[in-house]
Amino acid sequence: MRKKIWRFTVVLVLVLMVLTFTPLVVPERVHHPYFMGVPYTMWMGFLETLLLLGLTYLATRVHPGRDD
Amino acid sequence: MLKLLLIIGTLYVLALVYLTYMARDKDRSSANYLMAGSNVGSFLGLFTFAATLFSTFTILGMPDFFRVHGVGAWIFIAVSDLFMVFGIILVGYHVRKKIKESGTNYYGMAGFMSHCYGARLAGYVVFLGAFLFLIPYVAIQIKGVVLFLDQAFPDQFPMWLWASLMLIVMVVYSELGGLKAIMYSDVLQGILLLLVIWIIGIVCLNRLGGIGEMFAQVQLVDEKLLSVPGPKGLFDLQFLIGSMVGIVMIPFTQPQVSTRLVIMRNHHALYRTAVALGFFAILVILPTLFIGMYGAVHYETDSTADFLGKTLITDQLPLIGVLVLLGLIAAAMSTADSQIFGLGAEIRSLLGGEDQQALRTTRGAIFLFAVICLLFSLFSPDELVLLARLSFTGTALMAPMIFLGIFTRNAAKHRWMPWITLVAILAFILSSFGLLPTKFGLIRTDLLLLFTLGFLALAVGFVERKT
Repeated sequence: MRKKIWRFTVVLVLVLMVLTFTPLVVPERVHHPYFMGVPYTMWMGFLETLLLLGLTYLATRVHPGRDD
Repeated sequence: MLKLLLIIGTLYVLALVYLTYMARDKDRSSANYLMAGSNVGSFLGLFTFAATLFSTFTILGMPDFFRVHGVGAWIFIAVSDLFMVFGIILVGYHVRKKIKESGTNYYGMAGFMSHCYGARLAGYVVFLGAFLFLIPYVAIQIKGVVLFLDQAFPDQFPMWLWASLMLIVMVVYSELGGLKAIMYSDVLQGILLLLVIWIIGIVCLNRLGGIGEMFAQVQLVDEKLLSVPGPKGLFDLQFLIGSMVGIVMIPFTQPQVSTRLVIMRNHHALYRTAVALGFFAILVILPTLFIGMYGAVHYETDSTADFLGKTLITDQLPLIGVLVLLGLIAAAMSTADSQIFGLGAEIRSLLGGEDQQALRTTRGAIFLFAVICLLFSLFSPDELVLLARLSFTGTALMAPMIFLGIFTRNAAKHRWMPWITLVAILAFILSSFGLLPTKFGLIRTDLLLLFTLGFLALAVGFVERKT
């Protein structure tokens, strides 16, 4: 199970990496919609960093070499 | 204010002296002097990673990048840093395992690659890449701070004297206390960096009236700052991709970071450090956004030096201004000392023979690198962030070779890889000087080189796994 979660985490991070360079995160010359007064790319980028931090933590818990 | 700086600066130097004294050890072997006994816990690990990674580039470069190029700077550095942290978990384990299984004494990636490929050339290529791309980076950090000091105290000291003083202090505690002294001072410097950047960040944010109001004012100045590619079109996809690749590879290609990866006490300590480092990255980059946006609103047309001088010093209380200067000096020193020391460790990794003799040569090399950095800092251009990016990308060219060495069972079968990497490094340098095209068709030369090397390494790894 742990190995599956590890693989899932890695795949999720790779998907996030690809998505970073799509209009989902960096639409050209677009700053709407705002979230709490923050322009789109900024809050999306911030959300992505938080997600990555969470995934990194998860990765440390399920890393296959954790018990070495 | 100069008096205040000299008083607080003296206290800071005394603190460094104390930390160096604490770090001194009777065991003067290479393993202890260069690798701190490879027994570093997560607290020390976090601060030494953080202080080494976040340099003058963070305090001076990032606010200016946000001011001039807008919010895309968050993707350029913060998002890339978080991917880098994940990379430490993903690849760091295998690097450490491979080193342990090799049964060799690890002092640097150059020596280790020589061992993996069974060829001295692999080590020379790693050292050459690190030397060529780190020296300008170290120099520009020193220069960035010196220019700033010169602006804060015009005609007080010549620039070469500020630069020399910083390098002398750095070399003294590095030479006396080794990596341990550097790491202890990293804790002090990391805390100082975080404290200073948040004080200024909060002051700027308050003056702008909060986050929502800040972006509303920026929109009035230039709404292109609120999206990519930014007003000058810098943050296009190729720039962002190239930067991310370069930054993600730093822990494996830049000696000052790869050493820290290896010397952690165990995998758990490394994992805890990585997560904390990700948090630290967000924490340290966020206030640079506030400072940059403050600059976009108040100092839109000013030069970089004027914007930084006014925002970080003139607009602040004198005590905060002095803390900023000290924070800047600390940030530059904590990265530069580790980079110079890291280059020294790479030299040691290539040396054989009796340990004490090799260590003496290494210490001589560290001194020599410091002198080269001093000279370079006096004559280098001022483009802090772009030179830093050149350093990330340049060293990243070595990553495919390093990964092939680590992940294949017998890298000696692929001795062509160091040669190709060497050619790629030379091509990148030529394109940086405009002697080769910066683009082939629509693709940037640095990306083309990175992906070609990466594809070759992946293809070889795939074929080997199949057989």
